Amino acid sequence: MSEATLLAVFEDLDPAANAIEKLHELGVGDENINVISGVPVAHKILGRPHPWTNVSKLSMGGAAAGFLFGIFLNFGTPNLYDIHVGGQFITPIPPGAIVTFEMTMLFALLATFLGVFLDSYFPNYRPLEYVDEVSDGKIAVFFRVSEGDAKKFTDAMNTLGAESVKPAEARQL
Amino acid sequence: MTATSKYLSGAHEAHDSHHEEDPKQYLMYDPKPRGEMNAMVMESMHTTSWKFWVVLGVLAFLVVTCFFFAWGYMIDEGLYVGGVMRPAYWGVFLVNTVFWIGISHAGTFISAILRVFKAEFRRPFTRAAELMTTFGLIQAGASIFMHMGRVWLSYWMFPIPNARQLWPNFHSPLMWDLLAISTYVLGSTMYLFLPLIPDLAMARDRSTGWRKTFYKILALGFRGTEGEWRHLTVAMNFFAFAIIPVMFSVHTIVSWDFAMAMRPGWSSSVFGPYFVLGALHSGMGAVAMVLFVMRATMKHMDYFIRKEHFDALGKLMLMVTFAYTYFFFNDYIVQWYGGDKATDNLLHWLEEGPMAWMFIQFVFFNIVIPPLLLWSKKVRETPWLLALIGLMINVGMYWERYLIIPVMLTINRMPFTWKLFQPRIEVFLTIGTFSMFLLFYMIVSRLIPLIPVWEVQEGQMTHSLRKVGKAKLPTISEFE
Amino acid sequence: MTVDLNLVGAKGAIAEAAQGKWGMTIDQDICTGCQACVAACAMENNLAFVGEEDAGYGRTQHWIRIERFWDGEYPHVQATPFQPMLCQQCGHAPCEPVCPVFATPHSPAEDLNLQVYNRCVGTRYCANNCPYQVRSFNWRDYHTVPELGNMVNGTLVFPLHNQLNPDVTVRRRGVMEKCTFCIQRIHKAQDKAKSEGREVEDGEFTTACAQACPASAITFGRVDHPESLVSQLAHQERGVKHLEELNTLPRVTYLKEG
Repeated sequence: MSEATLLAVFEDLDPAANAIEKLHELGVGDENINVISGVPVAHKILGRPHPWTNVSKLSMGGAAAGFLFGIFLNFGTPNLYDIHVGGQFITPIPPGAIVTFEMTMLFALLATFLGVFLDSYFPNYRPLEYVDEVSDGKIAVFFRVSEGDAKKFTDAMNTLGAESVKPAEARQL
Repeated sequence: MTATSKYLSGAHEAHDSHHEEDPKQYLMYDPKPRGEMNAMVMESMHTTSWKFWVVLGVLAFLVVTCFFFAWGYMIDEGLYVGGVMRPAYWGVFLVNTVFWIGISHAGTFISAILRVFKAEFRRPFTRAAELMTTFGLIQAGASIFMHMGRVWLSYWMFPIPNARQLWPNFHSPLMWDLLAISTYVLGSTMYLFLPLIPDLAMARDRSTGWRKTFYKILALGFRGTEGEWRHLTVAMNFFAFAIIPVMFSVHTIVSWDFAMAMRPGWSSSVFGPYFVLGALHSGMGAVAMVLFVMRATMKHMDYFIRKEHFDALGKLMLMVTFAYTYFFFNDYIVQWYGGDKATDNLLHWLEEGPMAWMFIQFVFFNIVIPPLLLWSKKVRETPWLLALIGLMINVGMYWERYLIIPVMLTINRMPFTWKLFQPRIEVFLTIGTFSMFLLFYMIVSRLIPLIPVWEVQEGQMTHSLRKVGKAKLPTISEFE
Repeated sequence: MTVDLNLVGAKGAIAEAAQGKWGMTIDQDICTGCQACVAACAMENNLAFVGEEDAGYGRTQHWIRIERFWDGEYPHVQATPFQPMLCQQCGHAPCEPVCPVFATPHSPAEDLNLQVYNRCVGTRYCANNCPYQVRSFNWRDYHTVPELGNMVNGTLVFPLHNQLNPDVTVRRRGVMEKCTFCIQRIHKAQDKAKSEGREVEDGEFTTACAQACPASAITFGRVDHPESLVSQLAHQERGVKHLEELNTLPRVTYLKEG
């Protein structure tokens, strides 16, 4: 039996949360539901599982890489070509602290930024399922059900106060 | 017992009658639907009057002549067209660099520190401040390159080896500067862009033509799924915490360019925090000016930027003024008391020499006048007055940097070389950088939403008014 | 004597003992302020002539200058001894570590403070950090400034180009320069001595300024050889070093009675 993706648009957070609860009751798993909103909504409000993210791990990885790069710049590169200046060590520690700090931060920030791109599959210019009302502050709930049940779910969503329920179509944003 | 409570309640009523208006208007207790706010922001981007285009044209002309042409002329002819000489080997270009880096600090301060401390009044103008960071840093970077004798070889300072495996010198404060400023430029640009993505998606949904293509490309296909929001908020949180130490390090390292040198007036261990506070001082003033101009010239901005925002900003300026005064006093009293001959000469030069007018203006504009005005709520709530104070502080802070670089360089340990610095082509190039900053700001104000609408809405959703007795009190909660 | 300046704690007492290799003494009591050293230095090292206007504004390209001071107000003026000022070739040079591109490193072989012209990018930090203010910057290509040339039959000629020293480069604009202790003469003498299988003798050669000084106020040589003339002069009681309190370890000793 083929599957259909339905899209229900809600005015507010409360009906959306109720709708998701109803979907759970009707046997739709969390993996078949997705929510699109115009502001970040905590998963607890909608009773959704905690979304995964690799961004923080990537930032820590970037920080580690930057730390090593800073160490290389300050303690490695001067040994490739010995030059004495001002009666100082070839590889003094105080400037090393500064260089290492800056490189750690730079790489951590870059990795965080790239992490958002990687985790969210940005940039993504393919057609996607979307409704414009979302950026007006509405909440859109997608869920995947078998085609035969579509009518039943549409009615259930309408009774819970959905503004509109329609089959989701991917389109050029 | 009864008598006491009667007395207390009577006093309470009398006190209450003075405060009829709702407290904390910056929390925006008159929420509008998101769609309406979107439309307001979109309209403010689309609306331009003929005055806008005239100012834009003048600025563009100034950028072409005073920035590109003057700089090209200087590269072609050599640095002698400027005013730099022995002993003032550094001149106005580095004054501009320090000034613009100072301006750029306000953006990070407002959007990162206030975000970390969850100060609600930041919401409508974080973006305007962050733009100042990015554009200020562009001008600071350009000024550094203007300053170099052989700018076409500036890539020799980048951390790449030459053919003999000679890397740049990490002993040099200028190298720390290069690393710190490039970290800050990249970091603040990314930090500007991340919260902008949802607003670009909003603009994409309600525009047509070339704007649609423009926003579509920049919004990267953002929809607002749970995952996207989660990655974005985690990243923004990380940025808010991580960019604060970077911001402090940048201006501290800029101050070390001077403090590390063996020169009277420069070799001071308090220069790091003194410069950071100076940067915030001028940056806050610049934010006040930008907010005033935005509110006066752009449509619908009086809904988003209110008197209470200026009030809160004015309090911040007052606090920064006091902190700045503390460090100023610290720096000068130690130098004065030390009695070192060269420093003594320098201080006499500052108070009696031909540049004394500048020193006096600097003290009055930055230290004496702002606290005398900013204590008053009426002053803080008058946007044009606050913007005027901001302008005054910025002039004063420009003089401060001018005093530190070419004027302090005049006095050194070799009296035979003392000479007075006179700016030449630097005047044009300074006009050029200021025009370029304003030009960028004007163009971008019509290209990207200057108000982070989703953040404003998030704020409005989490605020409410609760009645306690007869008073309405604001309550604030967090989504997390 | 070799002292490793990179030892922990070397900046204090151990470094004080380090004399350096090449050194100079300048006797202020017999200096007449005749500027012969300034002219000789300019000839030897291809220094540019900057013209009246730029010289007045503080852009002279002199590696050595005669500083002249006086006490009191006119007419009761009392002159003080002339003070020739040049790069002190510091052992702990403040100019060295601040260069971002290693354009002014320390020479381990000659124990001199070098300037690498073609590595310089013109940040001018070294000049700011020099407490003696002896570095000069090429603000423009002074060797080919049209106003400073002569027009002969419709072509611009620069007569001074004919006396340029082939042992020294001509610096272009945008780079820093300073006194090198005539390192080209040092190397020439060393090469000659090496080909003859001997050490460089004291007094075999000298710098341009010392050679030109009619009063013999300037003496140049090895300060680490106790028997050399410069070493004996430098250890006189009259010897002082400029701005010694900054711990720059200058290699130039000024002789002055009091």
